[in-house]
Amino acid sequence: MANPELQMAILHAQTRRHFLRSLGSGVGSLFLGSSLANYAAAADASAGERPNLSFARDAAMPLSQLPPQFPAKVKRVIYLHMAGAPSQLELFDYKPELRRLDGQDCPASFLAGKRFAFISGVPKLLGSQYPFKQAGQSGQWISDRLPHIAGHVDDICFIKSMRTDQFNHAPAQLLVHTGNPRLGYPAFGSWVLYGLGTENQNLPGFIVLLSGGKSPDGGKQLWSSGFLPSVYQGVQCRSHGEPVLYLNNPPRVDRGLRRTMLDAIDEIDRQTHAEFGNPETVTRIAQYELAFRMQMDATDAMDIHKEPESVRAKYGCTSAGSEFANNCLVARRLAERGVRFIQLYHWGWDSHGATAKEALNIGFNDRCREVDQPTAALLADLKERGLLEDTLLVWGGEFGRTPMRENRNGQEMKYVGRDHNPDAFTIWLAGGGVKHGITYGQTDEMGYEIVKDPVDIRDLHASMLYMLGFDYHKLTYSFQGLEQKLTSVKPARVIGEILA
Amino acid sequence: MVRWAYSFGGRYRSALVAFLPILLLLLLVLFFPPDGRQRAEWAQFIGRFHPLAVHLPIALMLLVPVLEVAGRWERFSHLRLASRFVLGLATAAAAFAAFLGWCLARSGSYSGALISQHMWGGVSLAGICWLCWVLRGGTGGLRADKVYAATLTVGVLVVSWTGYRGGQVSQGEDHLTEYMPSILRRVLGISPGGPLLEAAAGGFYEVRVQPIFAERCVSCHGSKKQKSRLRLDSYGWLMRGGKHGAVIKSGNAQGSDLFRRITLAPDHDDFMPKETRQPLTPDQLKVIELWISAGASGTIPLDAIKGLPAGGPVRATTAEVSFPQIDEASAVKARQEIEPAVRKLQDRFPNILTYESRSSTELVLNASLLGLKFGDADVQAFAPVAEHIVVADFSRTAITDRGASAMATMIHLRVLRLAETKITDQMLRALPNLAQLRTLNLYGTGVTAAAFPLLEKFTKLEHCYAGGSAIQPGASIPQSLTGKLVL
Repeated sequence: MANPELQMAILHAQTRRHFLRSLGSGVGSLFLGSSLANYAAAADASAGERPNLSFARDAAMPLSQLPPQFPAKVKRVIYLHMAGAPSQLELFDYKPELRRLDGQDCPASFLAGKRFAFISGVPKLLGSQYPFKQAGQSGQWISDRLPHIAGHVDDICFIKSMRTDQFNHAPAQLLVHTGNPRLGYPAFGSWVLYGLGTENQNLPGFIVLLSGGKSPDGGKQLWSSGFLPSVYQGVQCRSHGEPVLYLNNPPRVDRGLRRTMLDAIDEIDRQTHAEFGNPETVTRIAQYELAFRMQMDATDAMDIHKEPESVRAKYGCTSAGSEFANNCLVARRLAERGVRFIQLYHWGWDSHGATAKEALNIGFNDRCREVDQPTAALLADLKERGLLEDTLLVWGGEFGRTPMRENRNGQEMKYVGRDHNPDAFTIWLAGGGVKHGITYGQTDEMGYEIVKDPVDIRDLHASMLYMLGFDYHKLTYSFQGLEQKLTSVKPARVIGEILA
Repeated sequence: MVRWAYSFGGRYRSALVAFLPILLLLLLVLFFPPDGRQRAEWAQFIGRFHPLAVHLPIALMLLVPVLEVAGRWERFSHLRLASRFVLGLATAAAAFAAFLGWCLARSGSYSGALISQHMWGGVSLAGICWLCWVLRGGTGGLRADKVYAATLTVGVLVVSWTGYRGGQVSQGEDHLTEYMPSILRRVLGISPGGPLLEAAAGGFYEVRVQPIFAERCVSCHGSKKQKSRLRLDSYGWLMRGGKHGAVIKSGNAQGSDLFRRITLAPDHDDFMPKETRQPLTPDQLKVIELWISAGASGTIPLDAIKGLPAGGPVRATTAEVSFPQIDEASAVKARQEIEPAVRKLQDRFPNILTYESRSSTELVLNASLLGLKFGDADVQAFAPVAEHIVVADFSRTAITDRGASAMATMIHLRVLRLAETKITDQMLRALPNLAQLRTLNLYGTGVTAAAFPLLEKFTKLEHCYAGGSAIQPGASIPQSLTGKLVL
């Protein structure tokens, strides 16, 4: 070690924690050893029937596949998140009684002890703006705004008793996607990638596609890897043009030159990793390599023009404003290619009624038209190709909307809208692992509160992990002295009633 | 008594003064006994020093007979002079330790027979120490010496017994005998470890009560884990109780610790089951209550208790999901035979062959990831592990009908995917009767309607995806395939 500066840098990198950890094998172990052994034994005993699973991998292959804890029902997830919280009362939760009471003053008992984002004073009850009809052999009620999805209700499992404890978009979206309303926690997709790895090593295992003109309020944190190594974070791809910017080689650089350059960088990174042991260095190596492999496959996977015209027409890719449709078709292509977690966000469901875009009878209507056909086409396409039986499809927002018409500042508003309601909303699932053509849970006659079988976000997460082959207690990562897990510390419940 | 009092003359008063703290202790114990409730922080804080302080009087009390006996030799006669001083110290230490013990017991939610016995042992010990101290001080002749020797002997016995009881409180009732070798057990006549009592087969306990414990309690109080050293996986263990003593009082449900805990409010510290905080159902509580009230017998017949909630053995109304447990050690053992072959294949075809789960020997093969680079010859390579493959995906690979012979050895296939490959009806003709096959994916292949009869040999087939294949629209689908064929 000739270079004193380098030596100094290495010493600086040794923190108090490194020192304390090394006590276990150094002189300190002479007197700590016996008592630590006891702690370890006690920890083992308390873990009892739940020994930890190991997620250790070859450092060079952080995304390599690991088998699930027990045989999985599904091996991939396509999550269609409707950012802004679509109104369950206009789509899935049929409430004729509310329709009957439309325009009446909201009873005081509905307002006592409640907090609203905008409602003030005494709002009016607001019946569904659209007619409902029964569809499929299962005869489930669905709004006339979703005629295509209505054709597939027999493949769908509605959970009409979802609830959350967040009533603002960003924290509620964080809760839905990371199991925690605060920043810094890994996304569901990151957990799955960490637990299972990904099949196709030439594509990211967790891909995020956005539509609707805006990013969801929760921002990029919704697909961040939190405290997990950042190699597990979601990769946001563009739905037109180059899927990933700067993926292709610059002019006059060929693949061979690129390889030579990467080899040199890798060598330096490997030395750094040997010295400092920082997992982020491994991430860096892995990401360079992934980008190199992606040059071949990503553009092909994301190019919907490789699909025949008939297929694109089925999704509705040919009409104007078809971003969501394009993304749905990309999602199917990615599913075929062994991508583990495909996350779509479609923005614009926050129907307060403050502007035309936010109105239940205008903007909301457009959103329905944008998602109805593509969602149904995706379902049908997956089913036809036999992909649906090992895919879990999730559709839903971050909370529900009130049965009262929003009256911002206590005044009747120009457009019709509803405020946020965290106490009840609808999410639906389809695919392997869930029963088809059923409804789980029930809300009251106003669709305001849950009267039967409430499902917390963590219950949904635990159930999804179960379908992916994990006991949610066991998919853990040691961070800040805690065996962190997706469902956080509160007890969750796998919803056995919806499992196929 | 009077003569002794005179015999130690001026010390009479100081001896009485020294007795005052002990008297005070006696009053505390009599009028404020430990009742199992939790109290002030200070008392608990001080009380926690009891296990520490208690070793002092034990050591001092045991030192005295050593001094007395050793002092009988001329060489060590000076030691006897120290014994009175040591006794004085022991009295003070015993009274102090007993006081701390009372603090702990009174404030730290202790109660029960074990605690009372230990407590009275401690208080008596303080008294006996005091008595020894008083007696040792006198020069009351031979008779007083004998009384002293006897009292000291009693003191040593009391200190041993109290210490043993204390050990039982802190470390469990069988802390001394738990790991006693069976030979020694037999010599000493101690019952062998393990359940003492057995419930009658088909009796009320076995049919109605044990299933409740099995469902709600044994994950923490069972063979694998014994929180508070309580096991509820058999009648014998249940009646033996745990760290806090017996949990069932025959005939008295309200007085049984187990019943008390399961009927508390879920946010109470003592509430059980602690893990989930989901109370037992009212029906389950009723069964347990009736059974305890009827005498908590293990042999009482099934029909002896009236007024039970309707229905058979009580089950939770919700569909609880249990997680399959994995045993990685046995998985390693089971995989021994195929592991080398699997490793070799994984090196040759990275990332397409994995075990189905952490504990399985079943394999999942996804060749579709290799696309057209994967052909008929490559299927042959999987022959060594063919019987272990349960899911095989050859979609979009270069395989043809010639791959059938290699696939035919994968006799345990549950899922076979051949989507968008060049295969034809010939492939299905060449495949054997895959008895486990549930899913067959022929999407976008050259399979025709002529293959319909061939599909009937897969008796467990649930789904056959044949969209985009050479099957003509309007082809008549045989009865046996309706609902299974997806076109």
